[in-house]
Amino acid sequence: MLRFIPYILKTLWRHRTRTLLTISGTAVAMFVFTFVGAVQEGLDLLLNDQRQDRSLIVFQANRFCPSTSKLPEDYALGIRKLPGIKDAVPIKVFMNNCRASLDVVVFNGLPADKLRSVRSITLQDGDWSPFERQRDAALAGRGVAQRRKLSVGQKFSIGALTVTVVGIFSSSVPAEESMIYTHLEFLQRTRGLNSVGTATQIEVLLDESTDAHAACKLIDDLYRSGPIATNTRTKGAFQAKTVGDLIELVGFTRYLGLACVAMVLGLVATTTVMGVQDRIREHAMLQTIGFTGWHIFAFIVSESLLVSLIGGSIGTGTALVILQTSSLALGTEGILIAFLPSASLAVTGLVASAFVGLVAGVVPAWQAARAEIVPALRFA
Amino acid sequence: MSLVEVQQVTKEYVKGDQTITPLKNADLTIERGEFVSLMGASGSGKSTLLNLIAGIDRPTSGHIFVDGENITQFSRTRLARWRAENVGYIFQMHNLVPVLTAYENIELPLLLLGLSSRDREKRVNIALEAVGLMDRADHYPRQLSGGQEQRVGIARALVANPTIIVADEPTGDLDSETSEQILELLRRLNTELGMTLLMVTHDAHAAGIASRRLRLEKGVFVEVLPIVSFAAAERN
Repeated sequence: MLRFIPYILKTLWRHRTRTLLTISGTAVAMFVFTFVGAVQEGLDLLLNDQRQDRSLIVFQANRFCPSTSKLPEDYALGIRKLPGIKDAVPIKVFMNNCRASLDVVVFNGLPADKLRSVRSITLQDGDWSPFERQRDAALAGRGVAQRRKLSVGQKFSIGALTVTVVGIFSSSVPAEESMIYTHLEFLQRTRGLNSVGTATQIEVLLDESTDAHAACKLIDDLYRSGPIATNTRTKGAFQAKTVGDLIELVGFTRYLGLACVAMVLGLVATTTVMGVQDRIREHAMLQTIGFTGWHIFAFIVSESLLVSLIGGSIGTGTALVILQTSSLALGTEGILIAFLPSASLAVTGLVASAFVGLVAGVVPAWQAARAEIVPALRFA
Repeated sequence: MSLVEVQQVTKEYVKGDQTITPLKNADLTIERGEFVSLMGASGSGKSTLLNLIAGIDRPTSGHIFVDGENITQFSRTRLARWRAENVGYIFQMHNLVPVLTAYENIELPLLLLGLSSRDREKRVNIALEAVGLMDRADHYPRQLSGGQEQRVGIARALVANPTIIVADEPTGDLDSETSEQILELLRRLNTELGMTLLMVTHDAHAAGIASRRLRLEKGVFVEVLPIVSFAAAERN
């Protein structure tokens, strides 16, 4: 087939406007498909990360938004004493926007000495020591740093809160890279928050053998008659509950992605059918001089495959580049869903494009390959 | 043994609720090196017969032997391969691929024969020279005149050195001066290269250049002129 590649390419270039429009349409559709896939992957990773089941989140009972949950900070001390608990860390959550948004900035304030033990983060720029020493120091995830153009040494303000960025970190958990970590006490004393001595939540790390659900019950029982009742869940369950509304929405976008693939199918199939109808006589001529029906079939399928693959590559590639450079994350109530530009997404985009290209070409190719030569030669 | 033997060939096709029989129990033999022209009124079945001999159509009954092979028994794929190796087809409307240059159009049949690019180049250049279009090799069909396009079509038909060349109204789309040039070219293919040609034409003058002229009348062949092989005449 290689020797026929110039013929196939020149044939595609014959109706260049039509070909370019089809490639553009395919690129746009595959861009959306990839983007939707990235959101889906980010959500799946957030909800299915097994590590999230080895830590618990203690929240104020009957509260759902971080800005309304206020637990006494010393609850952490009581929880640490319970059996099967490795550690308990009070965390103050502050964000610029409580609703679902693509540009949520989430601050987590926690004791400086605890950050390294509870979070799996690696500093890409800056140093740990200024973070531990400096009261308003903050470590920014590389996602939010890229999005907000933050660098080490820079001051950064959200409302009444102003921090100094002393480090940029990466994390094995993609959503973490859209967080900013600062000191618990600094966040508690921020003007307007009025939260000295309180935390939004307590993050509890379990021993390997501890039953998570039993530990949740133990903690809630401990404070059932305390000043503020608690509601404790595994971190995974807590995140799933918090982003519950988004799960439905993101689930719906899966259909949007599939609709995009169907659109590519329709687009490429239409172009292929038009190309075949334009060349009925040419295909008959080729068969007259000795090309087999399979040659014609292969030419048409190759054309449709190429158009779809080129469009798919452009769309998928553009989406991945934008995802990579923009570090977008969808956030709601302090939980972030990172849009992941993964290799598997690239492969999925290309495989979907190739599959659609093949399917779109098969029927017109089969019809052209089986056409009778003599009537086709007379076709005007 | 004759190069082409058409034995009791009938072709029928259905159009609406009518069965049309353009060819009924036709018999024909063509010797190697002959140039046969085939005339007849529209619908007399002359193009049908040409297409059957070229292997792009199948008879309803009867047999066609070319170089000893019964092509009516070939599968669709084998027939295509046979055409690639044995038939050069010259169309009335040239049927060149518009996005390919003259060179690439002529090269098309050779792509099926598994030749190296050097061999293909050599053969295409010989064909281009034979039709006098060496200086038009890189031109696209839209950059060629009707006569030049037909010459490219002829070069494409002869480039694979086929057993037989068939031509369906090769001058039907050309002016008289260009027609003369094309007919002269076809005559030279027969006399100088010894190629066997079967040409369908409406034009009695065009038919006159053939060594044997046949007329189809209601499915029956009428031989018009005595057999004179230009190739044989040239050799003598």
